[in-house]
Amino acid sequence: MNIKQKITDFSLRRHKAVAIAIAIITLALGALIPLIKVDTDPENMLSADEPVRLFHNQTKERFALSDIVVVGIVNNKDPNGVFNSASLTRVYELTEFAKTLRWTDENDPNHQVGVIEVDLLAPSTVDHIGQGGPGVVTFEWLMKKPPATQAQADEIRNKAMSNPLLKGTIVSEDGKAICLYLPITSKDLSHRVYQALNAEIAKYAGEEEYHITGLPVAEDTFGVEMFIQMAISAPLAMAVIFILMLLFFRKLVLVISPMIVAMVSVISTMGLLIGFGYPVHIMSSMIPIFLMPISVVDSVHILSEFFDRYTKSKGRRETMMEVMDSLFTPMLYTSLTSAAGFFSLALTPIPPVQVFGVFVGLGIMLAWVATVTFVPAYVMMIREKSLENFGREAQHGDKQTWLTRLLHGAGRLTYSSAKPILVVFLVIIAVAIYGITRIEINDNPVKWFSRGHPIRRADIELNSHFGGTYMAYLALDPNETKTDYYEYIDTLRRRAVEKGAELKAEFPEASTVTSEIEKLLLEEAPGDGGKTELLETIVKAVREKEASAPKAQADVWYEFLDFFELEAEAVKPFKQPEVLRYISRLQEHLAKTGLVGKSNSVADVVKKVYQELIDGKRENNRIPDTSPAVAQCLIQFQSSHNPDDLWHFVTTDYMHTNIWLQLTSGDNKDMQKVVAAVDKFFRDNPPPIKLNYHWAGLTYINVVWQDKMVWGMLQSFLGSFVIVFIMMAVLFRSALWGLICMIPLTITIAAIYGIIGLVGKDYDMPVAVLSALTLGMAVDFAIHFLERARTAYSQAGSWAKAAPEMFGEPARAISRNVLVIAVGFLPPLAAPLIPYKTVGIFLCAIMVLSGAVTLLVLPAMITLFEKRLFKPAAEPIRPSCNCGFCVVISAASVLIVALNIHQFAIVGWTKLVWISAAAIPVMALACGVMSRRRLCKLVENKKQQTESGEKSNDG
Amino acid sequence: MRAIWILTLALALGISVYAWAGAEPAPGDEKPDIQEIVSKANIVAYYQGNDGKAKVKMVITDKSGNKREREFIILRKDVKDGGDQNYFVYFHMPADVRGMTYMVNKHAQLDKDDDRWLYMPALDLVKRIAAGDKRTSFVGSDFLYEDVSGRSLDEDTHELIQTTEQIYVVKNVPKKPDAVEFSYFNVAIDRKTFVPMKMEFFDKQGRLYRTIESKKVEKIQEFYTVVKSEVKDLKKESKTEMEFSEVQYNINLSDDLFTERYLRRPPREAIR
Repeated sequence: MNIKQKITDFSLRRHKAVAIAIAIITLALGALIPLIKVDTDPENMLSADEPVRLFHNQTKERFALSDIVVVGIVNNKDPNGVFNSASLTRVYELTEFAKTLRWTDENDPNHQVGVIEVDLLAPSTVDHIGQGGPGVVTFEWLMKKPPATQAQADEIRNKAMSNPLLKGTIVSEDGKAICLYLPITSKDLSHRVYQALNAEIAKYAGEEEYHITGLPVAEDTFGVEMFIQMAISAPLAMAVIFILMLLFFRKLVLVISPMIVAMVSVISTMGLLIGFGYPVHIMSSMIPIFLMPISVVDSVHILSEFFDRYTKSKGRRETMMEVMDSLFTPMLYTSLTSAAGFFSLALTPIPPVQVFGVFVGLGIMLAWVATVTFVPAYVMMIREKSLENFGREAQHGDKQTWLTRLLHGAGRLTYSSAKPILVVFLVIIAVAIYGITRIEINDNPVKWFSRGHPIRRADIELNSHFGGTYMAYLALDPNETKTDYYEYIDTLRRRAVEKGAELKAEFPEASTVTSEIEKLLLEEAPGDGGKTELLETIVKAVREKEASAPKAQADVWYEFLDFFELEAEAVKPFKQPEVLRYISRLQEHLAKTGLVGKSNSVADVVKKVYQELIDGKRENNRIPDTSPAVAQCLIQFQSSHNPDDLWHFVTTDYMHTNIWLQLTSGDNKDMQKVVAAVDKFFRDNPPPIKLNYHWAGLTYINVVWQDKMVWGMLQSFLGSFVIVFIMMAVLFRSALWGLICMIPLTITIAAIYGIIGLVGKDYDMPVAVLSALTLGMAVDFAIHFLERARTAYSQAGSWAKAAPEMFGEPARAISRNVLVIAVGFLPPLAAPLIPYKTVGIFLCAIMVLSGAVTLLVLPAMITLFEKRLFKPAAEPIRPSCNCGFCVVISAASVLIVALNIHQFAIVGWTKLVWISAAAIPVMALACGVMSRRRLCKLVENKKQQTESGEKSNDG
Repeated sequence: MRAIWILTLALALGISVYAWAGAEPAPGDEKPDIQEIVSKANIVAYYQGNDGKAKVKMVITDKSGNKREREFIILRKDVKDGGDQNYFVYFHMPADVRGMTYMVNKHAQLDKDDDRWLYMPALDLVKRIAAGDKRTSFVGSDFLYEDVSGRSLDEDTHELIQTTEQIYVVKNVPKKPDAVEFSYFNVAIDRKTFVPMKMEFFDKQGRLYRTIESKKVEKIQEFYTVVKSEVKDLKKESKTEMEFSEVQYNINLSDDLFTERYLRRPPREAIR
């Protein structure tokens, strides 16, 4: 008895013990599930110390920026749009309500979380700066209380429209809509705020429409709805699979077993994941729906075979021994390859993807263990009596079902028209490759909701009215070098001397003081640091001198103190008129690209205040000419109701600034275009002082993690492709067979991604994740088919005789699997979340395509290359003795190592290619040496012994 | 009786507190008259001497601990005790707003807005300011314009809610709740000096969100003067500290100083 027979025999004999053991393990692991910690923040796709996240958080902190929930109130019916008394009253009431959305922090009872009232942007919380008659400037609330008359409503409209900071941000240019911006203490409160707002809005009558969106809401709500979907879709798929199996096998008690296997693997895996303390992230919440089809597949193979082979005379035990004998090895192979495909995700440098890959891999192996032990045990627990009438023979007798007829037809076709079939598939591959070249990598979490979802509708509606609900922040900092600093000291000294010369007319002591100042500048200037530190030092020194100097000199010191204090303000980069003008030009440039709906910056604040201080005329909406003039405009702004709004745009020391960009699209490709437009602007227009710029904001963060993920997944996908190939080659003891085995999955993947490219679906996060599943699932059928084909061939002696057998039981098992999984995953297509639809479509496509390719292309190829393929099969040798095989495997291994090194270490591809190019010949040489060992010669001499050699190599 | 009462900046304006000789009620059973308490506190907080001058240093500390400074000279002259008065503010720091001046002709009547002027030297521009209300920030600090110019006693109803050995606590409820962002505020008044020691503002939901505290009181000339006060905004988690130095009373400021033409060129003694 070999090992597989031992396992089956054990499961059959000790079936009760096996069932109880599995039940206990599952329950024990399942008991850990209540400890679940949920993390639905896509930001965590990047590890917490990722530079872009650190910078994003630093920017948020520096400019007191918060994640924002966007609430739009639209009135398309009233001729005055939203600017009528009733609508504005509701706007006001909703704002007042939003202010109350605060809750006690669960971790700190003294702290409150929720909407940040002081930073809330709404018509009733922002100021209007305007003209109050000749020579009078007014500062007042834009909408202190709801207007009673249409005239008052019109006035509010006119005031709002006159302020570039508000137009396109709070009020839509067409006057139909108003936006409230609700900053929240943390992103994970978005859904709570969203629900509270919806409940309040439900109470409002009237003709207004309300829309709530923004990335935080989309992301948080997605997390919530994703878990709901998990609870709906997974069981629904299970139910459909169950019904289909019932149709195929007509035995309720029997078809329960794949369900149990699926439950066992899903529950144990999730229990393990949670038990190890990993939070269930958006990715890992998809584990059940990934594991289910994979774990059902093997059981369906067993049941299918069992059904086909069962006869009353053979009985359960003997039939099962037979079934397991032919299925054990292919099932092990398929599980190992699928698991390897997912384990390789652990090499992607994205934490949630690693966790996902490892646990799906584990789950697959658990499912395998459950399948090979539990299914036979389960069958033993069914009373023989209840299996009466079971089996193909009993059910259909000699009468052929439509499936059988169809498969036989296909079998004949592959034998008679092998070449045309291959030509057809070559054409398909060609088209697919064309499609793949057209794939567009793009994502937008809002688009994870289907078009009918309120968040998606809100997104579409509000972005048609406003400058955009997607926020990105462009942070600018001065980039002063040492040389600049030393040059500045020199310039400052020259200017101080000039100042001294001017003072001479009024103060006789001026030259004495001037030379002392020169000395100060030479001696006291800090070697390290910048202009600010220098001026601080000088101002301090001059102030001391002014206090202690005799009267005649003190006046001169006083003048110099004024000079240096002014200079200390003037060197602050974001008070300088030319820098602000540069920022304005950048904003205009971005507006012209059409990508940025609206941008607000400190320059806009200065321009608006200056305009109203002068006379309110449009032509004065500009930056004044001196830095003190800028400062004086800014201090006027600070005399408003919301002085701190300024500090969202610039730091209090005016050393850092932030341009708030509103984008109408959150698509990565659009954000990337904005980034490119900014890069180009900086290239084409050198700033007046040296500036650095960096991006922050969720829209940008998404670009970073999705980019990282897409490329990371692609690389680990390539890696697992190679790993699967190596495994196949080793399992079949032949590089050629390994290659043949890769054909169905290659065609499947090419076709799926080709279709994605052709229909214009974006290559997004869900699509990227599913590539791993494609690999794991698509290789299954090929392994089953080829393994069985080899056995059938060795028994029949020729493919002509073996082929019809292949299109019997094995083909039926594959077809049943295709139908069960493909149809089982149709329900998720109705889900309101796009990733679920994607999973459904993918699983259908994977099943149908890989099933079709396996059943058509593989037999066609075997027909054509029969001699080549089966010649070496008669004389298998140790893998290490096959020089060619060894070289291929070595080259593939080098490729894997290179792929993985590339993801983690900062080593360029060119370097890796050189290293690989050097490594491969070395390994080839080693292969040559190994194959000439004495052992190999011995083995060659005693070919009979290779039978046992094969077994010892199984592990 | 016209009286205005507001502490802090008002106190800085040389608004000092007289050693209220004989005004001290004997601690006994008799319930003191609420109108008398608020009026006295208002007078001692706002109308000491005929005029006054002080140098003010303001430090604004935001949530993350960043500090900003303002330095200015403030001059005050009463038109009528407990009634109209004039203020003149000359900015020294930040250096790039140096020379900026504010002038206020405060009118104590409820229906008459204050006249406010502003001069910005870098724009060489004099503007009149018309504000919708008095609850805007004073140059970006946590103090409001109304903390500076005063809030008329007639705007609120007053109620004595607590009397201890040291203090009276008066609750003030606005007569026009829509006009302000608070629902009421409490003031703790020192029974001996009548210096308002602490004000607490409560928002529309009844949460305490803003406090103004007199941190240090000194007797200057014959007047009790708050020389250090601090306002805290609990919502913004920011605070502003004000320190007064070189406080002087009864310095015979000229009426001319409080006219538009002195905005551009204030006399030297008014600015140094």
